[in-house]
Formats: sequence, C-alpha cells, structure tokens
Amino acid sequence: MKFSWRRARSVAYKEYKHILRDPFTLAVTLILPMIFVGMFGFVIDLDYKHMRVAVRDNDQTSVSRRFLQEMASSGYFNLTPVHSPAEADRELEQNGSPALLIIKRGFGRNIRAANPENPGQIQLLADGTDNVQASIMGTYLQGVVQKANAVFAKDNPDLSGGAESGARTGEQIRSRFLFNPELNSRWFIVPALSTIIIGFLAIVLTALTVAKEWENGSMELLLSTPVRPSEIVLGKLVPYFVLTFLDVLVVFVLAVYVFRIPFLGSFPFYMLACWVYITGALALGLVISVVTRQQQAAIQFAFAVGLLPSFIFSGFIFPIENMPAFFQYFTALFPQRWFLLISRTVFLSDAAPVTLAAAFGAIGLFATAMILLAVHKFKTDVEP
Amino acid sequence: MPALRAEVRQVSKKMGRAQALQQVNAVFDAGKVHGIIGPNGAGKTTLIRVLAGLLHPDEGSVVYDEAGKLLSAADVKRVTGYFPQEPSLYPDLTCREHLEFFRDLYDLPQAPFERRAEELLYATGMAPFQGRPAGKLSGGMYKKLGLMCVLLNRPKLLLLDEPTVGVDPVSRQELWDLVYGFAGEEMTVIVSTSYMDEAGRCSQVHVLSGGRMLASGMPQDVMNHFGVTDFAEIFLKNE
Amino acid sequence: MNKTDIVISVKNLVVSFGTFKAVDGVSFDVRRGEIFGFLGANGAGKTTTIRTICGILNPSSGSVTVDGKDVSNSTAVLKPYIGYMSQKFTLYPDLTVHENMRFAGSLYGMSPTQIDERSRKLMDFIGLPQNLPDPVSHLSGGVKQMAALASSLLHDPELVFLDEPTAGTSPQTRAAFWALIRRLSEMGKTVFVTTHYMDEAEYCGRIALMERGRLVALGTPLELKEQFFPVKPLEISFSAPVQNEVRELLKKEGIASAVFGNNLRVRAPDRAALERACAPFAGKFAVREVPPTLEDVFLQAVSGRKNQ
Repeated sequence: MKFSWRRARSVAYKEYKHILRDPFTLAVTLILPMIFVGMFGFVIDLDYKHMRVAVRDNDQTSVSRRFLQEMASSGYFNLTPVHSPAEADRELEQNGSPALLIIKRGFGRNIRAANPENPGQIQLLADGTDNVQASIMGTYLQGVVQKANAVFAKDNPDLSGGAESGARTGEQIRSRFLFNPELNSRWFIVPALSTIIIGFLAIVLTALTVAKEWENGSMELLLSTPVRPSEIVLGKLVPYFVLTFLDVLVVFVLAVYVFRIPFLGSFPFYMLACWVYITGALALGLVISVVTRQQQAAIQFAFAVGLLPSFIFSGFIFPIENMPAFFQYFTALFPQRWFLLISRTVFLSDAAPVTLAAAFGAIGLFATAMILLAVHKFKTDVEP
Repeated sequence: MPALRAEVRQVSKKMGRAQALQQVNAVFDAGKVHGIIGPNGAGKTTLIRVLAGLLHPDEGSVVYDEAGKLLSAADVKRVTGYFPQEPSLYPDLTCREHLEFFRDLYDLPQAPFERRAEELLYATGMAPFQGRPAGKLSGGMYKKLGLMCVLLNRPKLLLLDEPTVGVDPVSRQELWDLVYGFAGEEMTVIVSTSYMDEAGRCSQVHVLSGGRMLASGMPQDVMNHFGVTDFAEIFLKNE
Repeated sequence: MNKTDIVISVKNLVVSFGTFKAVDGVSFDVRRGEIFGFLGANGAGKTTTIRTICGILNPSSGSVTVDGKDVSNSTAVLKPYIGYMSQKFTLYPDLTVHENMRFAGSLYGMSPTQIDERSRKLMDFIGLPQNLPDPVSHLSGGVKQMAALASSLLHDPELVFLDEPTAGTSPQTRAAFWALIRRLSEMGKTVFVTTHYMDEAEYCGRIALMERGRLVALGTPLELKEQFFPVKPLEISFSAPVQNEVRELLKKEGIASAVFGNNLRVRAPDRAALERACAPFAGKFAVREVPPTLEDVFLQAVSGRKNQ
C-alpha cells in the first residue's frame, strides 16, 4: 500500500471538523496567546517607569548635562545627583536607588572630538537582585544613548556633514552593563513570549489528538483500515498547523500594532521560520501522543517538555551565555532556544537571514526528526 | 469475488499477565456466519483482534485463503472489515461524515460509494439520521453506523466484536438481520457474543472459555456434544 | 412498620423534560417480597421511572408511593427503607470490601460494631470470606458484584433496586447472583431489577416492559407469553440449502422471518398458512412449534406498539 494523499487529506479534513466543533479549545488556542502577550506587554509598561537612578557626573560639561537632560525627559528615569562616592553609597544603600550612573571625566571632550577610537563613556551600575529591572534599565538607557547621539550630531554641524561622520556619531557613547548583559524589555519579551506560547500550544494541541483517538477507541477502527501512520501524522499536522499559524499572526499583529515593537528584519524569512518551528512543535506533540496513548499522560508530558525548556533552556529567563558550559550545549537541543534567537533578531535588527542560518537549520532538523519519529513510533496494532 | 476462509492454528496469546488464548484452533469456513461464544474474559476480543491482525500471536498462526489461494497480511487487511466492541466512532461527526471519511480511507470512487451508501442506509433504516452526530445515536443505531462504515469496503471477512452488547432486543434483531443480509458467497462473518441465547442464531459456533476453544460446529451439534439444551449450561458445567 | 402488601404504587405517572415526555402515564404496583423485572430499551423511560420512585426526580403529574408514603415529600423517611445497587458506581476500587462497608454503613449512621456484625451476616449470605485483604480492584467481576450487593443491603432495606446487576458478568456469576435474588425475595425483601438479558427476565415474578415512555406489557413471564403468543412461533428447518430462497418468498408474502443459524424463526398466523406459503419448496423443509422466549415477547410487544 502506497502513501495516499487522499487518505491523508481525509484525516486532515476530519481533524479540521473536530477543531471547529470544539469551540472551547478553539477559543483557548486563539485567545490564550493574546492574554499572555497582552499581560506581559502591559505589565512591563506599567511597572518600569520613573526608575530611580543616582547620577554622579564626573564630567560636569554642557554635553554631560545635555545627556542627563535627555535621560530625564525620557520619562523612564528619576535622576538624583550625587557628588561623592560616599553620597552615592548612601543613595544606593539607604535611599534605595536601584542604580548608579557614572559619567566619566572627558565625556564631553570625547563626544566633541567624535573619535570612534575614544568614545565618551558612561557607566551604569544596577542592582542585579532585580535583574529584570536592571536589564530593562540597560535597554532604556541604550535608547537614550541613541537619541542623545542624534542630538549631539545635530548640535555639532561638523559632525553631521557626511555619512561617514554620521556613522561615527553613532559610536560616540558606549555603554557597558555590569549586570545582566541580557537586554530584556517589552521589545525583547514579546517576541520571545510568542515563541514560548505558540510552541507550547502547538505541543499540547497535537499531544492530545492521537491519545484521544486511543481513548475514544477510534484508533482501533482506524488501524483496521488501510490508512498508514504517515498519512495519519500528516493529516493531523496540517489542521493544527493552520490553527497555530493563526496564533503566530495574532501575536505578530499584537506585537507590532498594539505594542509598537519594531519589526526590522525580513518578514518572509520570519514567516518561514515560524512555519518550520511550529511544524517541529506540532510533530513533537504527536510523538508524545503516539508514545503515551493517554490524554492525561500526554498532557503531563507536554507540560514537561513544552513549558519547562521554553522558559528555562530557551534563554527567556536565564541568559544562555551565563549558563555553565554544559547547559549552553544542552540548550542547543531545544528548538525554543533557536527560534527565540531568530524571533528576537528578526524583530529587533535588520540582520540578513543568512546570519541565522544555523538557528534555522537547527529548527529544520528538529522538525524533520520529530516527524520521522512520530511516523516511526506510530503503532499499527493494539498490542499493549 | 469469493469470501475469505480463516484458519487459526495453535494460537496462544498473553495479555499482560493473563493467558488470553491457549493453543486455540478454529476453522472459519467461507461464506458462513460464525459465532464466537463465551462469557466475559473468555478471550473473545483477543481472538477477534488476532483475526483482524491487530494483535500478533505469541505462538501459532492465522492463515487466510480465498478459494484456496493464500493471502498476504497486507491483502487481508484490505479485504477485512472490523468493528470493535468499545465505542470507536467520532461523537462529533455525523453519520454522513463518517461514511465519507471511510470512503476516503478505503479509496472508493464517488459513484460506487453513493450507490453503496444508499444501499446501506436503506438496509439499516438510517437514512433519516444521516445528519445526526454519532454521539447522539442510540446504542443500536451506533452499532449500525459502525457496521455501515466497515461494510462500505465490501469486506470479504467481517469481524464484529460483541455487536449486540447493550443493544435492546429490537435493535439486536435488526443487527442480526443485517448480518445475514450481507453474509453469503462474498462475505464471511465472525461475530463474538456473550449472550448465550444468540448462539442459536449462528450457522457455526465456536465455544471459547478461559482462553481455550471447547468446541466448534453447528449450534445443535455443539449442544448435543455437551449434552445440554442451552449454551449457558456449557459454561456452568465447565469450571 | 407498615405491613400493607403493596410496596410500590405508581399511578398515572408522567415525567416531562420540557416538551418531551420521558414517562407518559405509567401505572403499576409492586408487591411485598416480589422479584419485579423492569425491562425496556435504552431511552424507554426505565431510569426516569426508577429515579422518580427513589425520590430523586419529581413527577410532573400522577403519584408514586413507597411503603404507603408519597415519595415526593418523604424522601428522607424512605432512605433507610430503600437499598440501591447502581450499574456504574458500586464500590471504591482502592478500598477493601470491609473498608467499603464501613464507609457505606457510616452514611446510614451505623456504628462500626453494628456495621461489622451486619457485614459478617451479609458475607455469609453471599458466600464470601469475611476479611478479603485485597482492594476491590483486585477482585474478579463476580466477587465485585456480590460485594456490591452486600453493600447495598448493609442497612437492611426492605426494598432493593438492582440496576443491571449482572451486566458483563459470566454465566456462573449470573446464576449465583440470581440465586441470591431469589433468597432475598424468600426473606420477604422486595427486589426491583432491571436487566438487558431477556433470559434472566424469566426468573422474575412479574415483568413490566417499557417502550417510549409507556408500559406495553405487565405480568408474569407465562402470562405475557400467552398474551402475546396465542399461536406459538414456528421454526422452519431445512433438508436442502433453500433457506435464502424461502426467506425471500416469505418476505413477498409479508411474513417476517429471522435467521437462526440454519433455521428460520417465523411469526405466521398459523402453521397451515406457513406451509401453504412455502409450498414451492415442499419436501425440503419441516415446520415445528417452538416455545416463545421473553425476547420474542419483547419484540412482539414493541412492534405491536409501533404498528399502532
């Protein structure tokens, strides 16, 4: 018996009807990502404004004052000037400022000189115990730096002359973050969150399907017909692929149009990566379902292999570069890590897709392996 | 296309810790209605699943032939219809959708499918219920729908595991009428049942108890063999 | 205790769900010490009727009395009077029989010593050892059913409802179970039993048969057979392979037949008429009368109703 598209299509069509007739699951699948992304998006927006920062300006020039003015007007920071290391300590330890910004001597001079070899320097010391806030501070500060660069370039006609000098001005201020070099923010969280939610939903959705057929008894009937495992696997992947892809679009629209997250990379490449990623996640769900044959066990498995690695090994919570070497390699096994990289990069930079070839290759490999495994593990009898 | 003959030779099968079948021998002649009779736990479902190719014997074998020509496992699967005892239809799909789903699984062209479906719907009296989801059918109608799905393919061997369990006497009568309506030159039917009074409805009975085949033959001959007037007595006597 | 002879009295009972009448004008009495078989297809209204008698559902109209009391306002009083063994929930599978008994008894406010004494008697009665160490899930189907019966008898009810007590059990278990039911009846308990097995219905004192919310037959097995089969069913056996041909022929004559192995069962007005109809195959068949079974009665009663 050869592979039959007709049988695969009929399984897909049947599955599509199951989905339509189960409005609850359908609603959860479409609404859950919105709730999650909305929640994270808004929570971060509300909590991290007017963060207190002690400022020690060792430069005391008009340029440094201009920079601080930019910083204050961003609305993210409440600045408290300090004039000595002792005062700085007091501000940090007793008054509870979570961060200290130091503008180094020569900041103004270096900016004016516009020499890329010797940029103006600021230093942010942030309280790493609240690593989310610390990293968000870093990101916002970077935004201020960018804006300030533009202002300095305008103020200094000598520098705004040619493209070359424009490029140079961009490097006038370099920031170094002593705590949490991972740059989390809403911009960073929302694209990452979509990775996790969509990947997880995909696993759960398919993890239930084959197990459901076993519990429902319909698998026994199916297996007595000429239908082949590959046809069932394909037939089950397609409708859930469409459903999960709708989720991708929902999250994308939310991210870009509601949360105004810039999308700088290649949209076609992002879509392609999403397709490969959700295919892998759906196929992993099928593997779980095929192996467990019970909905309850399948759902527990799906949580274990879907949710945990999504948060812990993807770099969402713990930056991968901070992990022990073994775990850095270990995370490479999880497609979430690779897709997170793709998702963030594509949203926030215009890097050419080629630079993500390795990550794309990894999720492609994972998807292929999972599909093959699902077909291979598929039982064609009812032996226990 | 003649019906299939199946022969079970020295089949043993363990299910978990229990020895579900012990060196079972049985010949299922082509074109007849065979009843596998036995109480719950006798091994009926295991035997039917072995016949359906869904379980593999630990020892022994099953051979199928069509007018003397042996068939491969793949060929057997194509011409066998099996409806399990446990509910196995999709509660949210309608009768019509089930038929169309099985049409595709069996790769039937549209025109013969329409003819066949109409014939089956007429024979089962299910035509008015085509739009009803399987989950909302009564016990008898549910079994009839399952029977229709597997009969679409015109199997040469039809395996029905306890089709009359939980079905009221009227629907039971209708199911048996259906079985006899389709059995014959082109189809062998093997039905398992734990209703002893149904043994008399079969043309051949195979009495299974505790995983062993106690006797096979025409119902009256089997009763004579055990010296009883009623099949339940066989099981009361043995054990 | 009220010693009237009628334990359950159902009069013109109607139970409606919206516009659907699940029970539509049903009346019957159940006498003390009787084994009352309650039969019908799924959806015929059996469960609704039983629930009304147990006081879980209220009648839309009509009345139901148990032990002379109207059930709709004496549910609490009647609870100790009634024992119920459900088809689905029987015993907790992870507890032993004794632990199950302790729990069931405590629901009726019995003390542990009362329970132990009573359960000793019951285990004797059903023929099981006193202290089965295994949890219920390890017991065989038959022992489980017996233990479930014992549990429903724990508070010594006068009236016991058994809902398909033998579904899915072996012929031995069924035989043993019915022996117990008979002994209960001899002890003066009233047993109200539903079953799918028509051959079991033969053991009942009287049978009520429900179909689409109405009672279509009521009486002893013998009465019902005589009522529905003034003429006995006929069976045709063949000496030549002409079964299908004869069946076709009978169909044209408007005589329904059912295949029984190599024979045909027929309901014909009389034997002569049947032999006339089969005349073309004379010499190849023989006709004999067979005693009607309750299954035949069921089919007849239900089809009679359909034709109305």
